[in-house]
Amino acid sequence: MVDTPKVAVLFGFGINCDHETKAVFDLVGGQATRVHVNHFINGNRSLDEFHILAVPGGFSFGDHLGSGRLLGNRMRFALREQLHAFVAAGKPIIGICNGFQVLVKTGLLPGPAAGQDPLPDFVQRASLTLNDSGRYEDRWVTLEFDSNSPCIWTKGITRIDCPVRHGEGKFVLPDSTDFDMLAANNQLTVRYVDPATENGEGISDELLPFPLSPNGSMRNIAGVCDATGLVFGLMPHPEAVYAKWLHPDHTRNTAPGPESSDVLGEWEGEGLQIFRNAVDYVKANL
Amino acid sequence: MVVTRVEVTPKQGQGMRDVRGDSIRRQLLSDHSVSATEVRSIVGFLIKSDISEEEIATRSDDLFTDPIIETGFINTLAMSNSEIFPTSPDCVITIGFKPGVTDNPGKAAVDGFHTIFPQAKDAEISTYITYAFYGLPSDCDSQWLAGTIYNGLIQRALVSDSAACANGNWPEIEFPERPLQVFTTPKRVNLEISDAELEELSYTGLLALNLEEMQTIQGHYRDDATRNIREAIGISPDAPTDVELECLAQTWSEHCKHKIFASKIHHVDTETGEDTIIDSIFKTHIMNPTHDMQKDVDWLLSVFHDNSGVIAWDDDWSICMKAETHNSPSALDPYGGAMTGIVGVNRDILGTGLGARPIANTDVFCFGPPDWEGDLPDNLFHPSRVLRGVHAGVRVGGNESGIPTVNGAIVFDDRYIGKPLVYCGTIGIMPRRLADGRESHIKTPTSGDIVYMVGGRVGYDGIHGATFSSLELTEESPSSAVQIGDPITQKKMVDMILEARDSGLITCITDNGAGGLSSSIGEMAEYTNGCEIDLAKVPLKQAGLSAWEILVSESQERMTVAVKEEDRAAFDALAALHEVEATAVAIFTATGYFHVKYNEMTVAYLPIEFLHDGVPQLQLESEWKPPQLEPFSVPAQSDHNDLLLRMLARPNITSKETWVRQYDHEVIAQTVIKPFVGVERDGPGDAGLIAPIHGNPHGIVVSCGIAPRYSDIDAGAMAAASIDEAVRNAVCVGVDVDKIAGLDNFCWPDPIESVKTPDGRFKLAQLVRANRELERVCRAYRLPCVSGKDSMKNDYGSGEGKISIPPTLLFSLFGDHPDVRYTATSDLKGAGERIYLVGTSKQELGASEIAFMLKESGEAGGIGGEVPQLIDPESQLDTYRALSKTIQNGLVRTAHDCSEGGIAVAVAEMCIGGRCGAFIDIDGTGSGDLWGRMWGESLGRIVIGVSAGNEADFVEAMAGHPITLLGISTVGSTLSITDGYDELVELPVEQLVTSWQGTLDLTGGVA
Repeated sequence: MVDTPKVAVLFGFGINCDHETKAVFDLVGGQATRVHVNHFINGNRSLDEFHILAVPGGFSFGDHLGSGRLLGNRMRFALREQLHAFVAAGKPIIGICNGFQVLVKTGLLPGPAAGQDPLPDFVQRASLTLNDSGRYEDRWVTLEFDSNSPCIWTKGITRIDCPVRHGEGKFVLPDSTDFDMLAANNQLTVRYVDPATENGEGISDELLPFPLSPNGSMRNIAGVCDATGLVFGLMPHPEAVYAKWLHPDHTRNTAPGPESSDVLGEWEGEGLQIFRNAVDYVKANL
Repeated sequence: MVVTRVEVTPKQGQGMRDVRGDSIRRQLLSDHSVSATEVRSIVGFLIKSDISEEEIATRSDDLFTDPIIETGFINTLAMSNSEIFPTSPDCVITIGFKPGVTDNPGKAAVDGFHTIFPQAKDAEISTYITYAFYGLPSDCDSQWLAGTIYNGLIQRALVSDSAACANGNWPEIEFPERPLQVFTTPKRVNLEISDAELEELSYTGLLALNLEEMQTIQGHYRDDATRNIREAIGISPDAPTDVELECLAQTWSEHCKHKIFASKIHHVDTETGEDTIIDSIFKTHIMNPTHDMQKDVDWLLSVFHDNSGVIAWDDDWSICMKAETHNSPSALDPYGGAMTGIVGVNRDILGTGLGARPIANTDVFCFGPPDWEGDLPDNLFHPSRVLRGVHAGVRVGGNESGIPTVNGAIVFDDRYIGKPLVYCGTIGIMPRRLADGRESHIKTPTSGDIVYMVGGRVGYDGIHGATFSSLELTEESPSSAVQIGDPITQKKMVDMILEARDSGLITCITDNGAGGLSSSIGEMAEYTNGCEIDLAKVPLKQAGLSAWEILVSESQERMTVAVKEEDRAAFDALAALHEVEATAVAIFTATGYFHVKYNEMTVAYLPIEFLHDGVPQLQLESEWKPPQLEPFSVPAQSDHNDLLLRMLARPNITSKETWVRQYDHEVIAQTVIKPFVGVERDGPGDAGLIAPIHGNPHGIVVSCGIAPRYSDIDAGAMAAASIDEAVRNAVCVGVDVDKIAGLDNFCWPDPIESVKTPDGRFKLAQLVRANRELERVCRAYRLPCVSGKDSMKNDYGSGEGKISIPPTLLFSLFGDHPDVRYTATSDLKGAGERIYLVGTSKQELGASEIAFMLKESGEAGGIGGEVPQLIDPESQLDTYRALSKTIQNGLVRTAHDCSEGGIAVAVAEMCIGGRCGAFIDIDGTGSGDLWGRMWGESLGRIVIGVSAGNEADFVEAMAGHPITLLGISTVGSTLSITDGYDELVELPVEQLVTSWQGTLDLTGGVA
């Protein structure tokens, strides 16, 4: 039994959402530490010390040569065994925004196809490329989650609002059959949806117009998980709406979120549950 | 070493698209109305290394090419592949960097290359981009086309026109080899020359020193005691070395020493007959008032002397703010100039106290009209290109640094064509005390501390920035003064330095900005009264830089940090962990000398006192004569519906959303009020509001005010309006008006009378009046200025074609917010809100936006008349305090600043944000006539909305303050404005939206 799951929040080389990512895990009962990537690469620290790994958003290496590529390479070559062991031990990993890009470029997401050995093989199968608009933008979107997804991070969450802040968030796979396979395994965990649709009925494969889909992502994909459900990545920033006062509608008294919580009272935002899910999962399973 | 070429192009089809190419296509259409059917892009890498072509080819998919979305080519041009490029384009343009220019993708590629080929230590990589244009109009000139997308100052372009394309001749750019630099031994500079020759020396050497300053330097070397000391240390006894002269020129530059603000001014006012001497407007009008206020409050921790002003925010944290301008570099290279502006001011925060963490940026730009169709002087870019470049530079600089842009403005006026103004501000936060008990806002250096240069290396780029910005822009302005920032190198340095701070390793820290090491180490050496630098230890981007170049180069991304001898190992280890270069280059001493060596040779030996306090005080003449302007007279017939739609589309009023949305304004998860608010998140936000401590709703308000056009009538009124606007904006979100601090950033045309500036006395009188109003209003508002900056040479050319900017004060404000859960935004909150005007409208239409609009269209003769004045700021502050309290206690959730375009524009914007209608009656809102009450820009006014249930409490809370019921928000979607029985406006809100959003959407669409 783990009472207080230890969370490694990576930083360094241009990662820049490390402070708030640490904060959200701390709020929901984790014990998060910002750890420089090189501590793991140099062997000063080991991933083995931690129960959860978070790769936060940012601009690692300035997004040059493709977002997430260079940091992904450092991890792919230097941390291969550690990452493999981490997932094999049933420990959750999340990548947000640039962190998602890193996980895709390392091949951790979407990972091996269902039915094969689900543990990481570090083969890149998808990519995240420049938004169709050609612009980096910060704007709020509405997300809906696949309730049947094996993803341990998203259990019980139907829909949330949160911001996207990226220039390279268009999720692509080489072939539409690749999508069908992921869809069949409910790995297309989270999509951009039209907020005018009914809760739970927003998910569609039909390309949504800008700005409902902010980047032209294929099948409106905002995030995916691997076949184990442990590794999850998404472009939008749920940590950026950990409190209702960060929601743009809060001065209108209509910011959505739980009516009460043990950490922020009536002010908990919709994004926090994702991080609570992982902390609770570790408490229950490790 | 061999050079291997790798080219990469996006795959086509199946939902893939070439976004880079398409962005160029849309830009061409939007800015030049030139339509291409398609533009494709190729990214190129030139890899200079010992790794063979074959080895690179086997690993290309791991690094250069993303096999899912791209196709790569090794040592062959992508254009020559007829399968990927089956049809011949009309034009192909390849753009690469000039030698020595910062190539960030190239630097990142080298890093990635080392991951895969660790043995390739000396590898260098240069990047370029190629665009292939299809379906261009037949009369589109290829060279002209290239000119629209590259800047010859920093880039090279190779062009294949349609004939070349037809023959398959593609541009093949080569590795940009740096020309060999030769180290030249420091020279003795003979100053025993005539006055005319001294001036000539200053002019040709870009020293920007006047005759009296040159003579003061000359005098220093005539002193016998000085000569004896110099003889003994082994440096030319009777003349400066080039190192010393350059060092003095940087340290004494207007940019670093603020000589005009420190000058003795003989001021004459022809209106009042006043004839007086002002000994330093800075001390008199800015510093003294703040120091007086410092006696009354306990939260002003550090003012004026550090890189930014620091205030106590709560028991655990202090906050600081600094704003800078980067005008001259942004005129020459808008992208690089603006990027170095924003990352530079971030370093000011990092260099405050023992190191503060930058947590929010502000950006305010002043440009020429984006739709300018008149002539452009040589060497100046079209305003739309300046806008694009500056915006991109600030976007990349801020976003990649992980610092949210929470507040800003864009102002347009014809005269900013001559010199764009690029103001960049940053707010920082630091713990009140470090773990070792030291207060973090106090630097603690002692003699014997080791001085490190941390971050980037020193190169030829960035030499003479400080002196260059102290001169007017000319066609010959040097390209070495232009740089491109490297936000990732800086981000790594910020991470490392903040860890070093928290570990107690830092005793002193400052930024390497203007003047380079000569300024940074020179200023820190004042603490211990001396230092000894060895320039030979400074890591260089290229060999061969001469000693003076190393000392004054302003190469970016560098901090100067002092560390105790016993902490060096820990400091070095942190630098290694973060992959940041940190080199010990100097030691603090108490000798009283700024001692610079190159290996064993002494190359500069200047008394600290002379270096910092030796510059003679300027004596300047100022004379105020009120400008004679044709008054604004309202047209006989007017359709206010039409006027409102036109006003909403004015560049100074229109939505800047497409630009602002490209800034990350929410990283760090603290931004409570975004730049755009309301139902569709597209109504204007008045001030930034952040809650930086996660889980804690304690907030910081950030706002700004700027009103340059009022200077046409009176720069004093301009200053008062700027300050009031900043405060007003902050009040709109519920700031604690008893804990606010300000920053004054003056941008002025040269106010020193000379042949080049015959109207210098008038421009100086404008500066005097602005500062007097600054003091009056700040004292009344109990608003201390804690930091500021001035940029005093904002002119282009001289004589007939001279362009001088309007005197401009940007006033930035940061203040305390007790609880961000109770705040307000400008959007109406649905039907039934009672709408009130707080404040009163006077007949003040002089220099108003409506006056400028109607003068430009020929419907009115002039813009003169009564400019808005702040008559009674003391009672205004009381009103603000009362209103802010109604927001803090949750009574009021809707508030909007009333400024350009008056009440009409303010309520229109509130309807846009709320997507709901309103019925407004401007009768009884003040002493102005219909035009004054509808369009006037009287200060001190805020429009608020309050729910019916809270109305009585609101009215009671505001008892004794000027409030007027304006109307009510409605279920319908129409804005109606009447003046009693006279109907003025009746417009659907959707039409307001369309007018407000059209003007500055220069994106060419999104698809």
